[in-house]
Amino acid sequence: MKTLVVTPLPVILGVLLLLSPACSRKAVQSGGDTRALQEEMARGGAKGGASSSFPDTSLSGKDETSSLRGFDRNPLEERLGGGGHSGNGTVTPGNTLMAKSDPGGAARQLAEIRAEQTASAAAGLRDVFFTYDSFSITDEGRHALANDAEWIKSNPQAQLKIEGHCDERGTSAYNLVLGEKRAKAVRNYLVELGVVPQHLSVVSYGKERPFCTEHGEHCYSMNRRGHLVVKVGK
Amino acid sequence: MTLRTLVIAGFCALVGLVWIIESGAADVFLEAARPDFQKIPLAIAGIENLGGTESPEGRVKLGSRIEEVLKTDVRRSLVFALVDVNGLGIKAGQLGAEPDPSFKHAVENGVSVVVWGRAGIKSGNKDSDVNMDGYVYDAGNNEVVGGKRYVGSTSVVRLMAHRFADELVFRYTGEPGIARTKIAYVSELGSARELFIMDYDGYDPRQLTADGFLNLMPRWSPDRRFLVFTTYRNRNTQDIDLLELATGKRWTLVSQGGLNITPALSPDGNFLAYSSSSEGNAELYRMDTHTKAVQRLTTNAGGDLSPSWAPSGRELAFTSDRSGGPQVFLISADGSNVRRLTFEGDYNAAPAWSPRGNWIAYVCRTPRKEYKLCLITPDGQKRVQLTTGPGVDDSPSWSPDGRHIVFSSTADGKSHIYMINTDGKDLERITFTGTHNSAPTWSPAS
Repeated sequence: MKTLVVTPLPVILGVLLLLSPACSRKAVQSGGDTRALQEEMARGGAKGGASSSFPDTSLSGKDETSSLRGFDRNPLEERLGGGGHSGNGTVTPGNTLMAKSDPGGAARQLAEIRAEQTASAAAGLRDVFFTYDSFSITDEGRHALANDAEWIKSNPQAQLKIEGHCDERGTSAYNLVLGEKRAKAVRNYLVELGVVPQHLSVVSYGKERPFCTEHGEHCYSMNRRGHLVVKVGK
Repeated sequence: MTLRTLVIAGFCALVGLVWIIESGAADVFLEAARPDFQKIPLAIAGIENLGGTESPEGRVKLGSRIEEVLKTDVRRSLVFALVDVNGLGIKAGQLGAEPDPSFKHAVENGVSVVVWGRAGIKSGNKDSDVNMDGYVYDAGNNEVVGGKRYVGSTSVVRLMAHRFADELVFRYTGEPGIARTKIAYVSELGSARELFIMDYDGYDPRQLTADGFLNLMPRWSPDRRFLVFTTYRNRNTQDIDLLELATGKRWTLVSQGGLNITPALSPDGNFLAYSSSSEGNAELYRMDTHTKAVQRLTTNAGGDLSPSWAPSGRELAFTSDRSGGPQVFLISADGSNVRRLTFEGDYNAAPAWSPRGNWIAYVCRTPRKEYKLCLITPDGQKRVQLTTGPGVDDSPSWSPDGRHIVFSSTADGKSHIYMINTDGKDLERITFTGTHNSAPTWSPAS
């Protein structure tokens, strides 16, 4: 079966019009300007945390001249990468800088993860495993959660985090949704068993924090899980 | 069923974008290779070495490096057909600013454009600037179109070639070219996943975040100044952050309970679409980036995620599992007119609307349960599978010229980043280091 596809001229023109501002923005070139970073940090730097207002991300009202200049019979010298001196041909692309994060934040996270692992192992919490594409709790999962529910009820001071995990198959994005469904299925079953919901929180890691990184069903089955963690820190 | 095409020449001349497709199996025939587009035969006579190497200990001479990068850029532009100069009798080296008489033979053999130049460090001082002069001869006009003169440190040698390539594309198509574009992506550092940026050809990777946990799925602002992405605050909650590349400054755009994932700025930058489960299950929302007002776009029991804007800004493609497994749906930017786009297979996700508007790339699960890339027209009339073979393919993202798609794949074991033409040709891996590179997203052009 043959099918004719004709893109109407107005659509093309419309797309070109819409694309033209995007085509003409100044280049962002990575340059790793460490001196500017040091200066920024010396001034206190930008916070790694939240800010109530954020900058204008729109294209409107900005310089729309292309950074390309075309060929010339007598070309002017263009300096690339910023710095130095030159005449009208100067090109000063922006650099990229590493985002300033909470100093020691990475180390603190690692320490908290280790503390959570230790606390969870000491509690004897058992994880729940799922079949491919599924977020239904299996019989084996119900047994594990019966054990977990008893521990939570006898440790009412503890806050429990239920992490939803997926195997490497499928898209990163959809696995975050599937991971949340798994974590919520675990939470809902624990609540059915009489656990107070306020003691439980859920988070989905999709396929981004696998327990096992080989390819194959053994590894996949290890990674499709609801992982129960005794919460440490915030 | 074989691929066959017909050309309506008059229409092509008039509209420029007419093509006929015989839909079928894995045949791919897309705009990038449309039958009315003839690549322009271009010969690079040579970039003469004026002295100096890329690095003090390096052996690659500067002119040779620029010539190599320029050739790759010209080939990847898909605008030019790179002609092998061997046997054409083109004089290489010691060429001035005027076309050499030896170009005549090349032109007689079908070459339309000849490029030549010279580059290097003229003085003996290794800290001196690199100079590059490049010239373009057009056989059609039988004249030197002109040249470019670049100066900079050895760290911008690849940029000199990229910039020259983009000037060539601009000269012959009016479009800016993709050689200076960037790809943002996620890379594994220990057990953490951080944002990185690299040149479109995989060179010059630079780390952007160092949070020590998970930063996921970056997307560009239309002006290339910012990335939006999902960040895990204290491991337990997800926020959507904005990162300014030039300064490293960060702002939090969305901070609430539940999933807050797959942010995407509209083509005009005025709206942020994203998925959030803060009100129950994952739904699509749209934030006005000026007023911060948030509008909920979807309301149903299924998960809705991965919004991708049409270039018009009037519609979005997204993933929804409201009908069982994930499928690609379309929705108007105001939340109306939701309709399902994909019906073949039980898993279709991660849509990416092409910058020319005529195709939507997405991840499709094949009958053999392989996760591959597919393309479908927004009217659902044509569907083709773009990639085949082992490995999980994910996160397709279009080049701004609409001729390439970058994506992640585990085809070689670890997750790495690959590039493919939209006609299914020229599959190239572009990351070679690291244990896990994923979620590539191609910058707009400049």
